[in-house]
Amino acid sequence: MLDELIGISILLPFIAGTLCFLVKDHRVRAGIIVATGIALTIDSLLLFQGLSGSYSYTPESLLGIDINSLITFADFALLFIILAIAFKLGNPLIILLTLLQIVPLGYFELKMAHHVEVTPAFYIDSLSVIMNLIISIVGSLICIFGIRYMEEHEHHLHLKKSRQPRFFFFLVLFLGAMNGLVFANNLLWLYFFWEVTTFCSFMLIGHDRTEIAIRNATRALWMNMSGGVAFVAAIILIFHTTGSVEYLSLQTLINHGPALTSALLLPFSLLCFSGFTKAAQVPFQSWLCGAMVAPTPVSALLHSSTMVKAGVYLVVRLAPGYQGTFLSTMVATFGAFTFLTASALAVNMSNGKKILAYSTIANLGLIIACAGINTPAAIIAAVLLIIFHAISKGLLFLCVGTIEHAIGSRDIEDMRGLYNSMPAVSRITIIGILTMMLPPFGALMSKWMAIEAAAHIPWVVVMVALGSGLTVLFWARWAGLFVSGPHLKVFEADKDSGLLGPFVTMFKGFATKVKWNAPASIKVPMVSLAVGAIVLSLAVPWLYTTLVDPVLSSYRPGVFVEPFRTGPLGITSGTGAFYVLPVFLFSILGYIVAVAAVKRKGHRVISAPYMCGEQYADCAQPKFRSHLNSWKDYIAANIYMQDIIGEEKISYWINIVSLVILIVLFGEVLR
Amino acid sequence: MSMNEVVAVIAAILVSPIIGGLVAGLDRKVTARLQGRYGPPILQPFYDVLKLFGKEKMIVNYWQIFCAYMYLVADVLTIILLALQSDLLLIFFVLAVGGVFLVIGALAAESPYSQIGAQRELIQMLTYEPLLILVFVGIYLETGSFKISEIIANYNQPLLLSLPLLFVVMGYALVIKLKKSPFDIATSHHAHQEIVKGVLTEYSGPYLAIIEISHWYETVFLLGLCALFWHTSFVWMAVLVVATYFGEVLVDNVCARLTWRWMLPHAWTGGLIMAFANYFWIYEKIG
Repeated sequence: MLDELIGISILLPFIAGTLCFLVKDHRVRAGIIVATGIALTIDSLLLFQGLSGSYSYTPESLLGIDINSLITFADFALLFIILAIAFKLGNPLIILLTLLQIVPLGYFELKMAHHVEVTPAFYIDSLSVIMNLIISIVGSLICIFGIRYMEEHEHHLHLKKSRQPRFFFFLVLFLGAMNGLVFANNLLWLYFFWEVTTFCSFMLIGHDRTEIAIRNATRALWMNMSGGVAFVAAIILIFHTTGSVEYLSLQTLINHGPALTSALLLPFSLLCFSGFTKAAQVPFQSWLCGAMVAPTPVSALLHSSTMVKAGVYLVVRLAPGYQGTFLSTMVATFGAFTFLTASALAVNMSNGKKILAYSTIANLGLIIACAGINTPAAIIAAVLLIIFHAISKGLLFLCVGTIEHAIGSRDIEDMRGLYNSMPAVSRITIIGILTMMLPPFGALMSKWMAIEAAAHIPWVVVMVALGSGLTVLFWARWAGLFVSGPHLKVFEADKDSGLLGPFVTMFKGFATKVKWNAPASIKVPMVSLAVGAIVLSLAVPWLYTTLVDPVLSSYRPGVFVEPFRTGPLGITSGTGAFYVLPVFLFSILGYIVAVAAVKRKGHRVISAPYMCGEQYADCAQPKFRSHLNSWKDYIAANIYMQDIIGEEKISYWINIVSLVILIVLFGEVLR
Repeated sequence: MSMNEVVAVIAAILVSPIIGGLVAGLDRKVTARLQGRYGPPILQPFYDVLKLFGKEKMIVNYWQIFCAYMYLVADVLTIILLALQSDLLLIFFVLAVGGVFLVIGALAAESPYSQIGAQRELIQMLTYEPLLILVFVGIYLETGSFKISEIIANYNQPLLLSLPLLFVVMGYALVIKLKKSPFDIATSHHAHQEIVKGVLTEYSGPYLAIIEISHWYETVFLLGLCALFWHTSFVWMAVLVVATYFGEVLVDNVCARLTWRWMLPHAWTGGLIMAFANYFWIYEKIG
């Protein structure tokens, strides 16, 4: 049963993607995508239900072909395709990086270790299941959102011939590659899926074929290919140091004996480096920021459930293997530094998608910092952050995409007062923002765990504390901008909905009569992600006991003690407590009181904003009386601190410092 | 929840605004005396709030009402969690909720005054939040817990003696949070500092009253944090709290408002240096 489920979650997207590519009718394609999404979701839920502890699976053959050879063949085929692309792009760096993978890998497979067989090929534990759930559910929702979005997108571009088949081929394929990646135990297979995600992201980023799209796709390719080179080097080094293919099994590698720790530190560092490139940590942040030129579903997918999550998955997965070493401290330092600097860069942005991009990089940095802190509590924090970040960030990208199609801009200054024209989308965006930054929501709870876990390493906790202050700044002002604006007659609150009112308000806003006109394929993903972000935060104690806590036990049996206890109140540890439920209930109570206050009947004056008594009489038009009795518009804008932390200004220094951290990391490991 | 805790929570909800209001009244009296004036009666803040409640409700849009109430709710929850002696970081995050809603409420009105006020308030939050986290981490390093209940139960000497520098760091945060000069950048209690009332510009009548009451809750919370630094003796706790607040009032009166461009780098640098020095001290002691 589990074997089939694993097979389906990897192969189905490959098949469905191919079908999407072949089918020309867009309605049939939409059907395929929706059906695949539903199938993947059910598949992942069944897998979650069916798994107890851990499970290993080694498929022998697929349609009569030996899978090991098939993957080896596909691996080389993929590398040669990339090489061909590199020649076409005329980019010597990518040619070099590809050759640096083909030649060593060929030497390794043909000369060093003939016909590598690693058992088990797949190893599934709680961490894999969590990743699989995120990929299958969040990823599918994003693909479904893409159906309608891409229609509008191509409509805006006035394309003669639809390029959607190609687009959905890579988009759906991505999910399969990610599922393979999180299930793989054989490092060579993991590497194959790793390269597939690199390739897919390159194709998707460059999808629009504009000059900037190709440039940014190329950058993404070379940065990720450098990670690939490190990956191959790690594989060969592991074999070289241990002299056996046994250690190419991820589980054996992580649970290696203490005698091997120092010898394996370099391969671990290389694998972590590979993870850093994929997770777009500084100094590799520019590929993820550049990836935003792609259509929104791509950004949403890359940022939330796939690609970058593969990077942090690897680092978190390997964490027990380098626990207590110098590498671990350096990983923590590196992650915390990324968290701080990416948050600072996000404060500097007025481009909504760039804010999201830097916030993603920051959160990934925090996850990596947690992996580096490497205590049970920190690992729990990392896993929870992976979950909640995927949901909220996926949601926020869909929101920004929808807004961009409606207003033609992704600048947050242009979203000022958007609540007045797009109430539903604005409300969902605000939910997305608040779930990223406020208690009792999950993302903040993970941050709480992270800070408490980091308390032992002063410089890490300082960077996390400064970074978390910065995140509050850029999220709060963005949320505030949506509601900034005059009071409109349409939004006259319905005052008669009684006790049910606050709940209706939660879903429909103050003015229940204002309709949200959008097709189901836009609405369903957005609403499900918004509801998911809230409900899962509420269900954190359950989530913890059923999903996250087992990560530790299947992680490295017997080594970790349970860091947290769950109870009816929330999550407590030896040193702290996060009362999820009471805080949640009190917040809901407060929310009801606040809404009731808004809806209360009675006399109320709506006025224009204060302009020293010289404001325009009509409060829907912000103007003031200027010289010669003329009416002038006024405008206010956010402080972006360009002069202190301008992107161009500080990126240079951030890159240098992060390179220094990496050099120290490798230097000390090599010593 | 035990009976004691229920009593503590109810007392905290009911008594805090009274204490907060009285502190505000005393504050005004002392300030007046420092400035050579006679000053209003101690109960003046209560009269002000009562008067505000009687005024006409005037808003720019509905979000202001919503945000004013959410601000109050967050501050009440902060006090409840403090009364329950729960996790310091959790309390801190709940406190931040209040700040966020105050800012959203200010941004809701398009007026340039409240917009600039909101931006400044955000930068103030940016300044004090990391400092408070560092203080809490210091408390954890010294006592081994983030939970106030366990700190009180297991740690038997005044925190001030081992965390004096972090107490100073908290002083920075207090100045900002209590809206005192030189860091009353987003809005000020003193009319001479500004013409228009920054982040509170667009709030009036009952909604301004709600924000004023929230501020009283916040004051009590901050004094509570202060009290934690000498939890072993009530007398010394009282001395510490009174002395700290008087110090804040004094600073308020001898300083003029500074800009955020000055505040942010100086508070962060000073705070970081002192925090690190104090951490080092703790490590030395343990090691």
